[in-house]
Amino acid sequence: MKESPQRRELEEVLRSSKLVAYGFMGMDTRHLSEIIDNDLAEVSRAGYTLEQLAGRMQEITDQAATRFGGWVEINENLRARVVEAKGRLVCPWPHPGRFNKRVTMVEHLKTGETISWSDLNIHMISEHGFFEGKGSAFRLEPEELFQMIF
Amino acid sequence: MVSTVLIPVLIISAIGAVLAAILVIAEHFIANYGPCKININDKRQLEVQGGKDLLSMLREEKIFIPSACGGRGTCGLCKLKAIVGAGPLLPTEEPFLDEEEKATNVRLSCQVKVRNDLQIEIPAELFNIREYQCKCAEIMDLTYDTKQFRFELLEPATIDYIPGQFVQFLSPVYDKSSEEVYRAYSISSDPVEKNIIELIIRLVPGGICTTYCFEYLRVGDEVKLNGPYGEFRLTETDAPIIFVAGGSGMAPIKCLLHQMKNTNSQRTARYFFGANTVKDISHYKLMKQFEADLPGFTYIPVVSDPAEGEEWTGETGLVTEALMENVKNTTECEAYLCGSPGMITAVIKVLTELGMDEAKIFYDKFE
Repeated sequence: MKESPQRRELEEVLRSSKLVAYGFMGMDTRHLSEIIDNDLAEVSRAGYTLEQLAGRMQEITDQAATRFGGWVEINENLRARVVEAKGRLVCPWPHPGRFNKRVTMVEHLKTGETISWSDLNIHMISEHGFFEGKGSAFRLEPEELFQMIF
Repeated sequence: MVSTVLIPVLIISAIGAVLAAILVIAEHFIANYGPCKININDKRQLEVQGGKDLLSMLREEKIFIPSACGGRGTCGLCKLKAIVGAGPLLPTEEPFLDEEEKATNVRLSCQVKVRNDLQIEIPAELFNIREYQCKCAEIMDLTYDTKQFRFELLEPATIDYIPGQFVQFLSPVYDKSSEEVYRAYSISSDPVEKNIIELIIRLVPGGICTTYCFEYLRVGDEVKLNGPYGEFRLTETDAPIIFVAGGSGMAPIKCLLHQMKNTNSQRTARYFFGANTVKDISHYKLMKQFEADLPGFTYIPVVSDPAEGEEWTGETGLVTEALMENVKNTTECEAYLCGSPGMITAVIKVLTELGMDEAKIFYDKFE
């Protein structure tokens, strides 16, 4: 499918390091639409919706943010902490979306596995279905994500 | 048969090529705004080539407007008054401007594109902001994710600043960032060292500037800073002080403590430093030295989650809990806060509940 000029422009921004180091696409050579479609299919196959995923992520972030960087027990399997840095992250899509530079780190207490997301990740999943490209600093694998948080 | 297919294809291709050429020519002439004049405060006039944003144009002319986001329109710091010629207010600016600012032509300079002559007003003190060529003189690990960087000023060789102010650090192009970006960091140095700027930087995962500082910057490398900026500073009163900081928020507080020591301040001051584990506490010895040097100073590190095996006999819990426990009468006090937005919001709530006038709470939020 031919991509519109707006879509091409967006993809250029996502591949550049204008907004975040290494860019949002990492080493992923697939088109943006392909990345989004594949991830969305994986979410659907697992029986979830983007809203459910983003909603649960936000819930964990809100719980963890109460201890200013300290660990918070989310449930018997999970603990999480939120680390904040100076500045804001801007959504690469053309709308005024700005988010605190805040990273939520989640650890599975039994397996020791960890996963991290920024406030911007939650927004991009919820509003744009974008989990970032493979190899980017904040790429979230949908399957790893729902196995961890649900 | 072949010609009936080829001729239309060739015609369409030719039309496409002509249209592309028109676009290239149009871009060259239409997007070229030519020479533009920028009148500043009716006192100074710049002649620039139009086409770029106002913030970077002023920076090229060595006029530095504060900006913490490198001109991405996300920090809202680069405000100035654009009296004439800035065009309509953009949706990207609106969230940062209140009604009064909108009515008085305040704009975000990073969002204003210079397309024609402009008349602007900027605070006179911004003319004193300079760009400093520096050499990285020392990099010291403070904790597992925080480092202290000392920069020796080369040109100009000295700087005057008010303790509590910040500078902008220029992160150059490197293999993980295709563009130069500026990031704001509070000065942590002893202000008597006029030829040194010291910064305390915490690593931000995926952060453009902190990645540069942590992974690429080496002792001996030359970098650029500009400044100083900011209104965060000690008042000239004798009011007892409550300092609250977390993480790299310790930087401006350290600078203020140097100032208090240098001026032989007799003010009572308690410094609550919030840490998650004992490993997050740094400059402990220095703070104890300040306690010895400053008659009214007490350092109270507060650890929220001492790790197993960590011997910790000091305060435990959240910094807000330590405040509630230790601070009784706040009516005469002033508070100086620096840390994450979440911590600052929670501390302000606690202090106002303890009776402190919000006008006496000064903070340097990480935004």
